[in-house]
Amino acid sequence: MAVPPRHATMQSISNGNTAQGNDRPPTQQSQQQSQQSPGLRVPSNRKTIYDRHLNRTRNAELSRASFAFLFGEMVTYAQRRVTGIQDLEKRLNEQGYPLGLRLLDLLFYRSTSTSSSALSSSSTSSSPPNRPLRIITLLHLIHGPLWRLLFGRAADALEHSVSAETANEYMITDNDPMVNTYISAPRDMNMLNCAAYVAGIIEGVCDGCGFETKVSAHNQPTELWPSRTVFLVRFGDPVMEREKVLERAGIK
Amino acid sequence: MSDNTRGVFSLIIINKAGGLIYQREFQAGLRKLSTNDYLVLAGTFHGVHAITRSITPKIPIAQPTPSPATGTTGPAAPGYSYPNPGVPVSGLDYLETDKFRLTCFQTLTGTKFLLFTDPLTGSVEGIIQKIYELYADYVMKNPFYQIEMPVRCEAFDRHLGAWLRGRT
Amino acid sequence: MVVYSFYIFDRHAECIYKRRWLPRPTSIVGKSRSNTVSDAAPTGLGQTVRSTDDDSKLVFGTVFSLRNMVRKLGGEDDNFVSFTTSQYKLHYYETPTNTKFVMLTDLKSPSMRIALQQIYINLFVEYVVKNPLSPTEHPGGVGVNNELFEESLEQFVVRAF
Repeated sequence: MAVPPRHATMQSISNGNTAQGNDRPPTQQSQQQSQQSPGLRVPSNRKTIYDRHLNRTRNAELSRASFAFLFGEMVTYAQRRVTGIQDLEKRLNEQGYPLGLRLLDLLFYRSTSTSSSALSSSSTSSSPPNRPLRIITLLHLIHGPLWRLLFGRAADALEHSVSAETANEYMITDNDPMVNTYISAPRDMNMLNCAAYVAGIIEGVCDGCGFETKVSAHNQPTELWPSRTVFLVRFGDPVMEREKVLERAGIK
Repeated sequence: MSDNTRGVFSLIIINKAGGLIYQREFQAGLRKLSTNDYLVLAGTFHGVHAITRSITPKIPIAQPTPSPATGTTGPAAPGYSYPNPGVPVSGLDYLETDKFRLTCFQTLTGTKFLLFTDPLTGSVEGIIQKIYELYADYVMKNPFYQIEMPVRCEAFDRHLGAWLRGRT
Repeated sequence: MVVYSFYIFDRHAECIYKRRWLPRPTSIVGKSRSNTVSDAAPTGLGQTVRSTDDDSKLVFGTVFSLRNMVRKLGGEDDNFVSFTTSQYKLHYYETPTNTKFVMLTDLKSPSMRIALQQIYINLFVEYVVKNPLSPTEHPGGVGVNNELFEESLEQFVVRAF
């Protein structure tokens, strides 16, 4: 009887985890073995496919042209039967939102597995890295690791609103958003910023962390950076109240 | 400014139907025309370009005759060839006048780029190639650009201008 | 360098002279095209020659349009000199009296402006314009039917290139 090799592999894995451990009393040797190969979920060297980029090398990135064409079609699709610019931006935002939610898990996974990440350094050094609890930690996560994951570089600026009335507003600036590289909005739609899609991603990430926010993208061109975009992050009132409580409790 | 940054007068893009979809002047040197005149010019050039292609000299393929003296009128050649058989037949590529040089680059999809330069400007092919690249990037990848319609892409204008200015 | 064809258009857009040279000298001893057509029965060559007759209209349309375009862009004192395709080069020379000389050559040819001017001054003016028997106007396309001019042109082209 010919046993397919894949089947044999499966059996050996199940043997190593359960059959051997159950049959024999735990000895020093078997414990050591289980530490070295703790199973599928967390392998000893932590080299699952989730740890790696799909591309093996750092430089083998996705084709920018393919992305540009895909994103162009997404904008065209979102533009169908819209009532106005705000409606269009809302649709782009909604397209980005689920991506942010999903991306967050991957981001955490990668961040916790590498010691040098900004996330682990910003959380308390003794305990294992948590999800961000405070606003600043969250914004640093977005500004740094998230931006690097998406665009290969950090965002250009992170600011807090100076006015006391709008203390819940934070601004993340990207001087040249990658999604807008090839996009020229028509003159009658000059308020439109297609980075609303990225705003949606940010919103998804914040929501995934338990921060209720509204994020919008705004054009703030300068002489040097014609497509400079500011992402306005507005946290909800419950988030601001919780922030005060956490501040009093001294939690970072 | 180096020598070849000077001398690019203007650029015209003609779509595959002969319609003017882009016109921009970079440097004075040619007379200014009205928009309507440019539209006429684009349509005219489109037609002339097709004719210049069709009047390519056809060289009858002479069959090998043993005595050339007797075959005064030439043998009954079944076909003909073109002067440069290995090269695809094209329409007008360059036009020279006393004051300017017109270079026409037709893409494989039928769009024509017309670049008016100073007769002394060098490496015009490189300039056109770069313009084509910018067109492919900032026009064709722009979701708000409708194919075959006039090009109104701010990013294209910006990058084209910046590149022509910064070219060394 | 190879000369493919040569045309003269008068101020009424009438083609008053055309001449074609085939690149192999052995196959073009026949002097004028009308002879060639009547003598040579073969359909293949006949077709080519007929297309040349149409060509003269196309050539005129082309140079006329381009000349106007050049004047529009470059000003009234600008002159259309030549254009190039991947296969041939067309040279253009216009006299102050609006007679147009057109020559099609291969791509390797240098500027033929001087040559066309010389054909105008030394051959056309000498043998056609100064000839009392030659008509000043060519209604209905009578054309330059002048042995002296044709022979000199033949010599000029053969000698020059």
